[in-house]
Amino acid sequence: MRILRKNQCHKVQGLLSPYIDEQIGSSERDRVESHLEECQVCRRELELLRATVNLLHRVAAVSPPRSFALAEVDAKRRPAALKREAPQWRRVPALGALRVATAVTALLLVFVLAGDATHLFEAGPVENRAALQGTPVADEVQGTSVTDEIVGVGGASFDSEGFTDNEGYIWPVLEIELALTGVMLILGGVTVGLWHRKRRGLEKG
Amino acid sequence: MVECATMEEDEIIRRAKEGDLDSFNQLAETYQRAVYNLCLRMLGNAPAAEDATQDAFISAFRGINRLRGGNFKAWLFRIAANACRDQLRSLRRRPVTSMDDAPFEFKSDQPSPEDYAMRQELGEEIKKAFVTLPPDQRLAVILRDIEGLDYEEIAQVTGSSLGTVKSRINRGRKRLRHHLEKHRELFV
Ligand SMILES: [Zn+2]
Repeated sequence: MRILRKNQCHKVQGLLSPYIDEQIGSSERDRVESHLEECQVCRRELELLRATVNLLHRVAAVSPPRSFALAEVDAKRRPAALKREAPQWRRVPALGALRVATAVTALLLVFVLAGDATHLFEAGPVENRAALQGTPVADEVQGTSVTDEIVGVGGASFDSEGFTDNEGYIWPVLEIELALTGVMLILGGVTVGLWHRKRRGLEKG
Repeated sequence: MVECATMEEDEIIRRAKEGDLDSFNQLAETYQRAVYNLCLRMLGNAPAAEDATQDAFISAFRGINRLRGGNFKAWLFRIAANACRDQLRSLRRRPVTSMDDAPFEFKSDQPSPEDYAMRQELGEEIKKAFVTLPPDQRLAVILRDIEGLDYEEIAQVTGSSLGTVKSRINRGRKRLRHHLEKHRELFV
């Protein structure tokens, strides 16, 4: 009996909102009304729902902050939401990948430079190495930033021995160094550029 | 709806369809208050509501030839609801400041100071309650109880059946009343 009653309450409570709005048929309305007569719980529910609806009816309209009439340019513009959304989110994963790529390139460059400085890549016997490397490149390399290192090493190699210097190496070390430097500068530039645009986008948004 | 499509409005819409921006702007002036308030209640954020309103009118102007007879306000509200959906998506990923807040305020017959404090508190509660509603229910309740549309019009705006509208309004109101029950002294 109690379960039956609960079930009935559940059904009636599902109809209270359309009942308030007079959006139910006459037979359903009669059923709701006869249940309400004998059920205090549902009467209370109706009272609270009505109070909520009345409260919402009293919400005051706000004056718009400006006119939304369109200027000629607006009429041709794409809606702002579309403009803002599309680029911003797609760029973020790309930015992460670019950062990693830049870091990897920089590490490779440091490794090659360090190898170069410690004569790791040279093919000849140990005694010849010091003679071949006329200027102590290692001194210029250490303790400076990556960009400084590149200039130092590149400059020294060109001045003293020129490209023939590579004959003493297993790999074309100088070319690798220059290529890595180029790639790193490009990646770094693009990363910084994207990061700036993203930040401006977020500030505007 | 209060502003029913008059002969005059039909004529303005016809000219707007021919690309006459001045005529369209007459429509914009008439409906901007309703559209802005719909967006404000949907988003609870004033700058986002401003963006959504602007987007809605731009989209409406570009798509006005797709309007064939029918209820202009319902058609416009449908576009505004879509603009709100876009804004809701981007709101989720930008921080909201108290500056953007859009509190609910109430009409009152004779304002007294204690009345004012009470209404402030109530407005804050309703705002919080609205945020907890799923957007579909929120839209249905706003259209019904704040904008005063009938069920048929709400079905047009939301592109759903009457049964869906009924159930969304029912569930939405129920949730609101549960949320507000804790503050019963405020509104009963
Ligand atoms: Zn009952």
